[in-house]
Amino acid sequence: MRALRLVLAIAAMGTTACATVPQNRRARLADPMMSVTDGPLEAARRQKFYDVREGAAGGDGAAAGGGCGCQ
Amino acid sequence: MERRRAVAAAASRPLVAVLRVALLVASIATIAPTSARADSPLADDRILDAPSDAIRLRSVTLLVTGFDQFGYGYQSKAGPTMGPGSERETIFEPEVEIVATQGDRLTHRLWVPVDLVTNASPHAPDVTTQASQQVQGGSVDWTTTYRANPKTDVSIRGAIHLEEPFRSWTSGIGVRRSLADDATVISASLLAAFDWFDRFSVDGTKNGRADRSSSTGSLALTQVLTPTTVANVSYGITSQDGELGNAWNIVPLASGSRGSELLPTSRTRSALVGRASQWLPWNGALRLYYRLYADSWGIVAHSMEGQLMQRITPELYVGGYYRFHTQSGASFFTTLAPLDATFRTADSDLAPLDSQTVGGKIVVDLPTSAGPYGVRGLHFELACERYFRTNDLQVNIVSWATGFRF
Repeated sequence: MRALRLVLAIAAMGTTACATVPQNRRARLADPMMSVTDGPLEAARRQKFYDVREGAAGGDGAAAGGGCGCQ
Repeated sequence: MERRRAVAAAASRPLVAVLRVALLVASIATIAPTSARADSPLADDRILDAPSDAIRLRSVTLLVTGFDQFGYGYQSKAGPTMGPGSERETIFEPEVEIVATQGDRLTHRLWVPVDLVTNASPHAPDVTTQASQQVQGGSVDWTTTYRANPKTDVSIRGAIHLEEPFRSWTSGIGVRRSLADDATVISASLLAAFDWFDRFSVDGTKNGRADRSSSTGSLALTQVLTPTTVANVSYGITSQDGELGNAWNIVPLASGSRGSELLPTSRTRSALVGRASQWLPWNGALRLYYRLYADSWGIVAHSMEGQLMQRITPELYVGGYYRFHTQSGASFFTTLAPLDATFRTADSDLAPLDSQTVGGKIVVDLPTSAGPYGVRGLHFELACERYFRTNDLQVNIVSWATGFRF
C-alpha cells in the first residue's frame, strides 16, 4: 500500500510536467538560493559528515567507502 | 451596406497581416548588424569568446571546515572496560576546488580535500576514522564532463584517497540529459570504490590487510514544476562486499572482557530522496529535503531538512536550516554481546538514534562583470552548525569558503 502511494505521488508530480514552464519565466529558479542541491563542496562536506556518524550512508549517488573506515 | 463593409474588411485582413510582417522584417533588418568580415574588429569571434581548445580557468574555491566533537560510544577503547569510551576528536578540513573548461565541450573539475585529525585516539587504537592519535588524510578527485550535444552531458570521475591505514580508489561514470526545453533533467550514474586498509586485533596490534568494494548506481529526475517551484527525486542502491568495519572497533562482552566487531561481509543499501525548492514572495526561498534509507543490516532511516533563505541584497543572502534524522539500529547492535553471537557491534553509529542539526549561513556572490571596489566574481560563505545525537555525541562545526569565478 505504501509503495502504491509512493508511485501515485511520483506519477502526480510527473503529470505537472506536461505543462512546460517557458524559459523566460524561470528567472526566480536561477537564483542560487533556489538550487535543489547544495553546492558541490558543501554537499560533499555535509554528506561525508552524516555518512560517518549515522551508519546510513550510500544509496544516493555517493559511494559508501572511499576512506573513513567506519562507513 | 453594413454587409458590404464587413466583406471588404475581411478581404483586407490578409493584406494587412502581410504588410505588418513585411514591416517587422524590414525593421529587424535595419537594426540587426550585418555580418562582419572575419578580419574586422567587429567579427563574431572577437566580440564573443572565440572557439578554442585552450584551457580556461572558470572558478577556484577554498573551503575550510573545523569540527569539534564530544561524546562517548561503546565501540571506543578510551574508557572503562565495559564502556562507553571517549569519541573526542578535532578535525581540520581544508579543501580546494578548481573548475576549468577546455574548448567548448570539456569541463574539468579538480577537488582536493585534506583531513587533519587531532586528538583522535588519546588512549588506544580507536576513533571514528583513524587508528592513531594524529592522522592526515587526503584525496585527489578529478571529474571530466563532455558535452555531447546541447542536451546531453557525459562525465567520468576518478579519485584516490590516501590515509595512514587506508588506500582507496574510486571511479565512476554519469550521464545527464535535459528534456522539454530544459524543464526536465534526468541523470544516471555508476560509481565504484575499492578500499584497502590495515586490520587491527583488539589489543591494537596490526593484523594484516583487509579490503572491501562498494558499487553504487543511481537515477535522478529534476523537474521545473512552476515558475517558482523546482523538485528533484532520486533513487540509488549500493552493494558492498569485504571487511565492512574499520577493523579497530571493540565490543564489550558478557564475559567482562572486550572483543572485536563481527560483521557480515556484504551489505546492500538503498535510498530514496526527494527535494523541492519554492520561491517565496518576499525574496526568500524554502528548500525541503527528505531521505528514506534502508539496508540489509536492518537499519531504516528517515532524514528531513528544511532550509529558509532570505535575500538581503542582489549580492547577499542569509539562511537558516534544521535537520532531523532518526534511524533504527543494526539487528546485531549491542552494548553487551553474548560470547556465541554470530555478528556483533557496539558502534554507536549503528545504534538506534535520533540526531538534529541546527545551522545558519551567510553567502556573498559578486557578479563577474563588475563588483564593488573593482572586486569581481568573489564568492564568500560562512556557516555555523551544531549537531547533537540522542546517544551522546555533539559536534560544533564552522566552515568558510572563499573563491573567485572568472
